Amino acid sequence: MKKNKSVLLSAPYILWMLAFTLIPLGVVGYYALTDPETHVFSLGNLKELGMYLPVLGQSAMYSLVSALICLLLGYPVAYYIAHRGPVAQKILYMLVMLPMCMSFLLRTLAWVGLLQDTGIINNILEAIGIGRLQLIRTPGAVILGMVYNYLPYMILPLYATLVKLDHRLIEAAEDLGCTPAKTFVKVILPLSVPGIFSGITMVFVPAVSTFYISQKLGGTDTVLIGDLIERLFKQGDNPNLGAALSLVLMLLVFICTGIMNGFGADEEGGVIV
Amino acid sequence: MKKANRILTVLMFIFLYIPMVVLIVASFNTSQDITKFEGFTLRQYAELFRDEDLLRLLGNSVLIALLSTAISVAFGTAAAVGIHRLKPKMRKVVMNLTNIPMTNPDIVTGVSLSLLFVFVGTRLLGQRESLTFWTLLIAHVTFGLPYVILNVMPKLQQMDGSLTDAAMDLGCTPVKAFFKVILHEILPGIVSGGIMTFTMSLDDFVISYFVTGSGFVTLPVEIYTYTKKPIQNKVYAMFTLLFLLIFVLMVAMNLLQLRANRKRETMRSVSKGGAIFRRCAAGFAAACVLAGCCFLAFGNKQDKIILNVKNWGMNMADGSDGTLDIVKAFEEKYPNIKVNMSYYESNETLYSQLKNGGISVDVIIPSDYMIDRMRQEGMLEKLNFDNIPNFQYVDEQFKNPDYDPNNEYSVPYTWGTVGILYNTKYVDPADVTGWELLWNEDYAGKILMIDNSRDAFGIAQYLLGYSVNTEDREELQACADKLAEQKPLVQQYVMDQIYSIMENEEAWIAPYYAGDCMLMMEENEDLAFFLPQEQGFNLFTDAMCIPTCCKEKDAAEKFINFLTDPEISGANMDYICYASPISAARDYMEDYLAESEIVYPSEEILANGTAYKYLTKETTRYVEGLYQSATKTADAEGPNWIPYAIGGAVLLGLAVTLPVIRRRKKTQ
Repeated sequence: MKKNKSVLLSAPYILWMLAFTLIPLGVVGYYALTDPETHVFSLGNLKELGMYLPVLGQSAMYSLVSALICLLLGYPVAYYIAHRGPVAQKILYMLVMLPMCMSFLLRTLAWVGLLQDTGIINNILEAIGIGRLQLIRTPGAVILGMVYNYLPYMILPLYATLVKLDHRLIEAAEDLGCTPAKTFVKVILPLSVPGIFSGITMVFVPAVSTFYISQKLGGTDTVLIGDLIERLFKQGDNPNLGAALSLVLMLLVFICTGIMNGFGADEEGGVIV
Repeated sequence: MKKANRILTVLMFIFLYIPMVVLIVASFNTSQDITKFEGFTLRQYAELFRDEDLLRLLGNSVLIALLSTAISVAFGTAAAVGIHRLKPKMRKVVMNLTNIPMTNPDIVTGVSLSLLFVFVGTRLLGQRESLTFWTLLIAHVTFGLPYVILNVMPKLQQMDGSLTDAAMDLGCTPVKAFFKVILHEILPGIVSGGIMTFTMSLDDFVISYFVTGSGFVTLPVEIYTYTKKPIQNKVYAMFTLLFLLIFVLMVAMNLLQLRANRKRETMRSVSKGGAIFRRCAAGFAAACVLAGCCFLAFGNKQDKIILNVKNWGMNMADGSDGTLDIVKAFEEKYPNIKVNMSYYESNETLYSQLKNGGISVDVIIPSDYMIDRMRQEGMLEKLNFDNIPNFQYVDEQFKNPDYDPNNEYSVPYTWGTVGILYNTKYVDPADVTGWELLWNEDYAGKILMIDNSRDAFGIAQYLLGYSVNTEDREELQACADKLAEQKPLVQQYVMDQIYSIMENEEAWIAPYYAGDCMLMMEENEDLAFFLPQEQGFNLFTDAMCIPTCCKEKDAAEKFINFLTDPEISGANMDYICYASPISAARDYMEDYLAESEIVYPSEEILANGTAYKYLTKETTRYVEGLYQSATKTADAEGPNWIPYAIGGAVLLGLAVTLPVIRRRKKTQ
């Protein structure tokens, strides 16, 4: 009797999630397939999408590159943290978490102050005689902004995988004559694959849809799909085209995460505090 | 190897913390400019605690975070217990549903929720305001719930099922068994889920940005509009304090956990530091209940009328630099009205915010052509001029304008011109001949361009010698080509962000509205204003209107009347540096402004100016499309092939290596 009753506890939740995640996506679909003026069915919005494909490609590439840079930077750091004592681990873990809790808008704005032509870095470069460089409004600046903002999202899942790694396996590999490099390639790396993929997903998804980082750190050429969607909703007065672009973005993200999940972890989310 | 790792870790932490150091230093800086440290001061902190608006926004954020966490935790825990009992197949389906908001990009979640709320609220139910506190709360609960579920589910799965059975065998009711046994076991999951929901909700910008109406705004959303205007250092002070607070909280939590762990090790007790978790959870629950009570006690007890005003940024005297604080003066005169000011960047932004629906606004101040459009589309409310006796002071030439022929919908607020602001330190006077300055390759990368389709097309039309009100597609296409040609030279497309960029000399040339240019010239004396008289320029009128989505028409008319008082108008112009449509106001203005050629150009100069007229709907949409594709899309060719090449190589690499790794994983 009890079992039946407690199953019912999930019903309000399922209804809630249907009402506020699935149905809204249906509404997005409805907007995407109707004409902005007449509200009748139309494929006009989808036809217009072709024009924005380069932007979509550019967004995907920027965020993929950022995710890989995060992986290259984050892996050694996660590895280092995972091999400290318990107290040091806690402190380092907290220091990685802390920036995530602070306003990313202001932190990105601080990068503008650092990178701009009259900014802090350029003032220093000028003072030591190197001269000013074009740092901001380059693709590099956008990628830097993404790496900066989402690096913790890479480190945390990697750390969670690496800290669970069974030390006896490494010892066994070494006993059997593996060099450290070989141990890494043969044992550690394959075992951390789930962490790698969950990290890449967690960096890729927010990066591909960002609109603030590219607005502040990018130039006139670094327009990302998030910028377009934001403009269409907030300024361009064309929510229907914006809805169509949102659908495309969602599709891209689901395909990418689907691939990642296929290769990577079977566990859910990979988020652990 | 180890050494390299350590160095890299240190470098990474420096990288993560440098921007935060910059912000913290800025909070003690006497200079407004984040890049120049001029002296140490605590003034920003004192100002922060005097700034009611900022504190209210922070309160709003905390309130939403506490309430949404409390709801998500209670709702999510119950749901997790239910899901745990579901048949495996069904459980998988529900968990996939749970994963949707986790995997979906925030922007899509925000857009979809805002469309849902507007669709249901405005289109189906016909409400004036469908984006409210409650919809924001729903949105936050929706993205909070999965965090709770995903943290609680593993704990339920780890739990020994026979414990519940034992409890029930010993005579517990299912509810009692839950509170005595299950809750105890899954508490760590609940607490970590709750903490995550709380921090996510407190710092959420993207989803809130799309779901926020005009009435209830949280701090991150307001910070976004702050970062478009000249940012005030007290925001940095707030950042520093929040940083300290979170730091202390995190340290405290870690210490508690460490202590709990140690206790567990020594006592070998089964309880997983339960006491401490329980205490934390109880404290948090108390905070939530308190917040809920406060909200019920004070949130709904607003006996004041809230007047929602939407204005351009920097377009009303706010009491800084010794000017009159207009809103405060109004609230003193009408103590039962509270003005809630929010901002828009351009006429087009305002239009789409109102058109997309969901928000309720009482007073707006659009420009001429936009008033015409809104009037024709039935978006404006007719004014009751009996409530606006000060309308008599408005100059005859501003009454019954083209955009409002019978003067039923609008009361003029300011008028002005669009010209070019340039920095005399870097720009050769010989180059300052006309609009072509904005296309001068010598200044590539130092040119800003105005970020709205109408003004941008207007500039191209003046340059090419077309009428600014042309509907000829060929001419419009030529303008779009001209703007596309300009794009490589443009540093940024800006509206209100122009202030800091021009004042800090990050850019040298920008077209903008005369009044704002005056404000910037006061801050940086190397700046100068040029009006291309021979080619022509835009002459605009901004006027106050009441949109149909208004809720407080009487109060709105009082506010409009107040602003039309010559003395108030004069005091207002002292701050915003525009010309008043009320001649009598000129007497109350500071002399240097009242006599300025920039603020009040002579009749013969004005003869060269033209006003924008509202074009047909088709043309407006066509122009908007041209503008987007000319200025806002990435070039498929050019330097952008680099990320493509890298990305392609990466994909290729993944395609080759992944199957190998996967095969290896399988064989293990």
